[in-house]
Amino acid sequence: MSCEIKQKGRVGTINPIFTCQPAGAQYVSIGVKDCIGIVHGGQGCVMFVRLLISQHLKESFEIASSSLHEDGAVFGALNRVEEAVDVLLMRYPHVKIIPIITTCSTEVIGDDVDGVVIKLNEGLLKEKYAGREVHLIPIHTPSFVGSMVSGYDVAVRDFVRYFAKKDKTSEKINLITGWVNPGDVTALKHLLSEMQIEANVLFEIESFDSPLMPDGNSVSFGNTTIDDLTATGSALGTIALNRYEGGKAAEFLQKEFDIPAVIGPTPIGIRNTDTFLRNLKKMTGKPIPESLVRERGIALDALTDLTHLFFADKKVAIYGNPDLVIGLAEFCLDLEMKPVLLLLGDDNLSYPNDSRIQALKEKVDFDMEIITNADFWELENRIKNEGLELDLILGHSKGRFVAIDNNIPMVRVGFPTYDRAGLYRHPVVGYAGAIWLAEEMANTLFTDMEHKHNKEWILNVW
Amino acid sequence: MPYHEFECSKCIPERKKHAVIKGPGEDLTHALPLGYLNTIPGSISERGCAYCGAKHVIGTPMKDVIHLSHGPTGCTYDTWQTKRYISDNDNFQLKYTFASDVKEKHIVFGAEKVLKQNIIEAFKAFPDMKRMTIYQTCATALIGDDVDAIAEEVMEEMPEVDIFVCNSPGFAGPSQSGGHHKINIAWIKKKVGTVEPKITSDYVINYVGEYNIQGDQEVMLDYFNRMGIQVLSTFTGNGSYDELRAMHRAHLNVLECARSAEYICNELKVKYGIPRLDIDGFGFEPLSTSLRKIGLFFGIEERAQAIIDEETARWKPELDWYKERLKGKRVCLWPGGSKLWHWANVLHEEMGVDIVSVYTKFGHQGDMEKGIARCEVGALAFDDPNELEGLEAIDMLKPDIIFTGKRPGEVAKKVRVPYLNAHAYHNGPYKGYEGWVRFARDIYNAIYSPIHQLSHLDISKDEIPTGAGFQTATMISDVNLSEEVLSSSTLRQYTGKYDSVSDLRKKTYPEFKKKERSE
Amino acid sequence: MENLHEKIALLEDYIMKKCLWQFHSRAWDRKDQNENILRKATQILCGDAVELETPADRCYWVDALSLTEAFQERYEWLAAMSKEEIKQLMQGLKERIDFVTITGSLNAELTDPRY
Repeated sequence: MSCEIKQKGRVGTINPIFTCQPAGAQYVSIGVKDCIGIVHGGQGCVMFVRLLISQHLKESFEIASSSLHEDGAVFGALNRVEEAVDVLLMRYPHVKIIPIITTCSTEVIGDDVDGVVIKLNEGLLKEKYAGREVHLIPIHTPSFVGSMVSGYDVAVRDFVRYFAKKDKTSEKINLITGWVNPGDVTALKHLLSEMQIEANVLFEIESFDSPLMPDGNSVSFGNTTIDDLTATGSALGTIALNRYEGGKAAEFLQKEFDIPAVIGPTPIGIRNTDTFLRNLKKMTGKPIPESLVRERGIALDALTDLTHLFFADKKVAIYGNPDLVIGLAEFCLDLEMKPVLLLLGDDNLSYPNDSRIQALKEKVDFDMEIITNADFWELENRIKNEGLELDLILGHSKGRFVAIDNNIPMVRVGFPTYDRAGLYRHPVVGYAGAIWLAEEMANTLFTDMEHKHNKEWILNVW
Repeated sequence: MPYHEFECSKCIPERKKHAVIKGPGEDLTHALPLGYLNTIPGSISERGCAYCGAKHVIGTPMKDVIHLSHGPTGCTYDTWQTKRYISDNDNFQLKYTFASDVKEKHIVFGAEKVLKQNIIEAFKAFPDMKRMTIYQTCATALIGDDVDAIAEEVMEEMPEVDIFVCNSPGFAGPSQSGGHHKINIAWIKKKVGTVEPKITSDYVINYVGEYNIQGDQEVMLDYFNRMGIQVLSTFTGNGSYDELRAMHRAHLNVLECARSAEYICNELKVKYGIPRLDIDGFGFEPLSTSLRKIGLFFGIEERAQAIIDEETARWKPELDWYKERLKGKRVCLWPGGSKLWHWANVLHEEMGVDIVSVYTKFGHQGDMEKGIARCEVGALAFDDPNELEGLEAIDMLKPDIIFTGKRPGEVAKKVRVPYLNAHAYHNGPYKGYEGWVRFARDIYNAIYSPIHQLSHLDISKDEIPTGAGFQTATMISDVNLSEEVLSSSTLRQYTGKYDSVSDLRKKTYPEFKKKERSE
Repeated sequence: MENLHEKIALLEDYIMKKCLWQFHSRAWDRKDQNENILRKATQILCGDAVELETPADRCYWVDALSLTEAFQERYEWLAAMSKEEIKQLMQGLKERIDFVTITGSLNAELTDPRY
């Protein structure tokens, strides 16, 4: 009965769980209004990330490339950043914000992106775009450091750091959502509105569940504005729901502007949502209303139907973004399940010190493994060659074949979930998320029981 | 003036020579879009990189290989599970991808050691796999890792394995096409001629530039098997590493996607005297002509004819059902490279649609020559499209359907134009006779989707039709059809199965006796 | 349909829309393809002997034969032409195809010395 935390033993990656830092920065950039990022590197770093995100959201959006070619790789490619900024500004008159996102290639060749931003500010923007509001934000996301998760974290901090200004302290709070779905943003905004709390939601990607309109001109973009970002510097407080996706920005605001920061917990499950509401109450002084007591009750009612009858002792493996994985594991424990294997896809050295992981380590009453720097082979090898038995897998679509080939039911959750319809629309956070997750897990188990004729008759009298 | 200037690109005048409208009485010598030039930064081009051209497009469809990318995990992750190149060995190449996971310390101190450990680990994890391809990425190219040397070292230590190295970092060329070239040349230089195959037929081909998208290769393989032709190798869809090392023993190279694979055919011709025959596997007439040519080459044209007759009789009435309903529909044919010329004329001839525009993301001027040659007058052809030009073209041309990639397909959706996936297909395969009917079926279903029709209604302004609880595609498509077509007893909708490929894997074929040779 | 020019235009149109052999990637390949395939096509149309010794010959020949079959099927006037007229027609066609694909081509890659 122990919980072990260890790094993957192999040096290489067989089927990666995460992509690299620039992807995280790009996901942040599409959450900002009037913003088109330029990824400084090879074209694949943009083309495939756009494909990936569009597979997940079933939407398109714009991100540009500096299109690094051979000559740039040899002689430096800052001229291509200059040209890219100019071309983008000429052709997209609404654009005000251009994050310049670096990649492994341009970091290795040592292109001075910060320098070129100064040069552009002094030159091109003054001369050609005088009178136009343009913000160039260098974001350093070399692919050989961290992962898409840290790339997200870095980019959120850099946006906030660039825009945040101290003004008269407002009534608003900053809510940094972390890497979530449009459905999560809807759920979070609902909780805020029930509490009558005004918040800057960073980043506002709810609109990526966008309509197909009769005039045919609806374009998907994020709704976080320059004003929102600027106002983060005068907020009442910051709540970053995910330590690893927005924590840096919350810490920055605390350090720079004395804005109190609450980092985590990810409001997945009843208990963590309760804590989130408590944190909101504490920060704003607003009470938790009866309506949320009722919502919580509806969730508890739904969960009670499922826990000890169906979920108890079910062994689960969970992989994906760290805050999501930890939040899901905690929820699974509340649901009487046994999350026996957690896979975190990068080598962030602070994971073992995470208080939530510490708590798991101290308190779980079954054998549990937490693997950092993990790949999918850590999961598959245990199943195929080491006798790991699982009842359920929770994770994103890239691991689908582990589930399919080993006949283990799987609930898609996290990013990306392109092999299931509409998951971006559903929340995993809040009471609504708890209901969705539990019922999705239950229905997935039920379908599997029926496929395998594994006590499928039990449902006759449920 | 035949060159077409997009309004949105007036501020980048170098774009002007990348687009033409085919004018009456004009030919390719009047105007040809520039192609395969460096991308304009910030134009939001749709191009990928040379790494993906090598690894993702050509390397990975090889089925019995550990595909390892030497670099940070992103390149590997991003190009993993984004295509539909299946294989008959349970899709190993789709399911497994390997990254050497280069981190900052390796960038500083070199990543050769970690690469070697990676190679050994990967073979250990998959003991049945004895073949590997390694792809350089931007990061490891720039730090100057000698990947070839490491591969040699491992092969000496593990004589049972064979490793192919492709040095094609993402920045190596204006687009993915740079990578196609690099892997073609590397394969013939390093691997062709290193295995001697067993020759089982008098008629031996390499099937080149075919990636088994949704089973295309297996459909064509079925025809070749029925003709008693030995397909020594397929470059590379559903292809086997060792078979591809034996390409030098074929009598004929049958080439589909000349854009991505003509280089190896040209080199095989120079080095081994193997002729190159360009074919079209798409469309009844082009496919029939192609099969007949291959038959003629070997003097077995009657075997080809038997297939042509049988397949045409089986599937033509179904194709024609759709043709009657697709006539005059406006198509933007916006693929990556070869499909603009594979499809342009035959779509028009056999499905009756009008190709109002072609574009190519990574094609060269040669692809534009072929594509424009195969279009009718009035078509807009452009190279290296970008987001705004695409939208402007849609606005100008008002297409009924667009064939393009997944993400641009989402753009089309929002302006209420149905799209089909030109790279990975919707419900393919699209090659072969049945495949071509499947394509027609997909086009028909997209254009006449009742939901698509509803997207044009503005319930706040328009009269909302009442009295109909539903519509079917035929209720929409058949309104103006003649009585003759409607009452035809021969025409019919597609009757094949959802999965038209798996059954092919169980088929047996007649044995054609090999000629005795007195040597 | 008396005009030689118009006839050549029809044949050219067929080649451009249906064939791929004229569009190999380099000028020297195109020259080689045009020359061999159209020579063999002329021989077939004229009933002359066609060399089939080497694999390369056979490969040109299948494209040539396929072309002539299509021509004969589509253009009935071919049957009424004499051998000399056919030679003249095909010579004109060859010049035209050479022009469109090689000498008049705007494809900058044609002279790239490497594949």
